[in-house]
Amino acid sequence: MGTLDGKVIIITGGGTGLGRSMALCLAAEGADIVVAARRKEPLEETARGIRKLGRKALVVPTDVTDPTQCNALIEKTLAEMGKIDVLINNAGIVRGERRVPLWEITDESWHTGIDVNLSSVFYCSRAVSKYFADKKSGKIINVASGEGFRGQRDSYMYNTAKAGVVNLTRVMAMSLAEYNIRVNCIVPGFVDTFEYQPEEYQQAMAQLRATGGTRRLFIPIGHTGKPDDIGYLALFLCSDASDYVTATPFICDGGGLTGGFATTGYAPVVSLKEALA
Amino acid sequence: MTAKAFELKGKTALVTGDSKFWLKPIVTALAEAGADIAVAAGQTHKLEDAVEIAKSTGRKALAVPTDITSGAQVKKAVDRVIGEFGRIDILVNASDVNLFQPFCDIKDTEWDRVMDYNFNSAMHFCRAAGRQMVIQKKGRIINVISGLAERGHANGTAYCVSMGAVLQLTKALALEWALTGVTVNAIGTGWFTENGSAADEAIARYIPAKRYGKPYEIGSLVVYLASDVTDFTTGQFMYVDGGLMAHA
Ligand SMILES: NC(=O)c1ccc[n+]([C@@H]2O[C@H](COP(=O)([O-])OP(=O)(O)OC[C@H]3O[C@@H](n4cnc5c(N)ncnc54)[C@H](OP(=O)(O)O)[C@@H]3O)[C@@H](O)[C@H]2O)c1
Repeated sequence: MGTLDGKVIIITGGGTGLGRSMALCLAAEGADIVVAARRKEPLEETARGIRKLGRKALVVPTDVTDPTQCNALIEKTLAEMGKIDVLINNAGIVRGERRVPLWEITDESWHTGIDVNLSSVFYCSRAVSKYFADKKSGKIINVASGEGFRGQRDSYMYNTAKAGVVNLTRVMAMSLAEYNIRVNCIVPGFVDTFEYQPEEYQQAMAQLRATGGTRRLFIPIGHTGKPDDIGYLALFLCSDASDYVTATPFICDGGGLTGGFATTGYAPVVSLKEALA
Repeated sequence: MTAKAFELKGKTALVTGDSKFWLKPIVTALAEAGADIAVAAGQTHKLEDAVEIAKSTGRKALAVPTDITSGAQVKKAVDRVIGEFGRIDILVNASDVNLFQPFCDIKDTEWDRVMDYNFNSAMHFCRAAGRQMVIQKKGRIINVISGLAERGHANGTAYCVSMGAVLQLTKALALEWALTGVTVNAIGTGWFTENGSAADEAIARYIPAKRYGKPYEIGSLVVYLASDVTDFTTGQFMYVDGGLMAHA
């Protein structure tokens, strides 16, 4: 018996990284899972893991930047699984185009960055909202990013889109509350999903770790997060335990956003005598 | 029922504070998740009730009558808990004294009392229990405060300042102990009621969820934050308020 027995949960970007971790943490507590992203193979891999835990899994190849495909994802889920309890909008492009000066960013890359990271949340939430409103229950969980709360050099689309996700969460939460729909967002810091990242990114992170550089990466607790840190947060937010929680960003970042005034929040020790001198 | 990942079997939790609402639901949730419980609060029926509840779940439970505004008494209380249980894994501070008065009318003694109960008690417990947690290289501190730690409220100066102080204590301490395995987080409560009145109903329409919270709805977040899966979560302020804090 699990705390999510009988629930049906859709996870976009469920083939890799945080999406896969969430899928397995939720299935272990009894949920049936629908995973949606563009590439079929990673989705099938996650589905095998879910089935190994004895739960139902459905793979729906979907490009979340296409509203028609988002509608189809919801329809297919209802047809095959009979219902939906939670939608997790997790798909996103973590390392998009960066370090390009503003004057060289093309319309196309602007739209791609905004579509994948922000519009997708709108499309999928809109697609499921009428169904949730009619049955007067449902939960939506959006995956934003710490970068949605701070600026970052030359990261126009990602930081803007993720800030948008945070506020879209609030607006949906307030507007849909009367239909008993809860909307929250998860805000990860640096989480180790490297095995799914491009080669050069993996190398850079490995080097940083080897030199103790993660401290310098603004993580006060001194190490990056594990995908399961996010998976279990999703478990709390999917379960009935969080029924009075809505519109809240849940930040899971090793203290990263709490500091920031000095690199990792550490300041030199000064005695009162010195302070008054 | 507690999800496996959030179970607290074998852990010791110290729950502190003189508050109308929070002792009972927090103790219930932690004990049901499997933790042994110590409660430090003023010697009242609230302390006894909370301990009775913990016992009824079959967990070990200890009542520690304490003047939580006194640093010396808090230290003694923490020593007693360590003496009985050998360790403290979880500290939940939940003191909540509501004073709402026009700023100029508040007497110095009243102001100090609010600070003593709402802020200084949490500060003393964080230091006394935190010292032990740092030695253990592991610990969870959860300060249950109000959304008014962040927002203002007319006639609420003393209350808002005391809550804001606990929030800043939470953030600074989280960073100071970030490398020790001790996490420090705060929960922002909204409007709660035990048995709804007509007045509550009238106000409830201003809450996005269209209802007051029930005290037990705090317990589940306390359990999550107290569990082993939240190593990467520190310095955070999380709301359980039916959407109140999303207002402009
Ligand atoms: N890991 C971190 O440190 C971190 C930090 C902050 C925020 N986040 C956020 O967490 C989420 C998951 O990230 P991750 O670390 O797990 O990275 P990831 O492994 O790259 O996962 C992103 C997923 O999104 C899917 N996706 C991308 N574009 C899509 C599209 N157009 N349609 C459908 N699916 C699409 C990808 O699958 P396909 O390529 O097959 O479509 C992939 O499975 C993202 O929203 C990210 O912004 C991560």
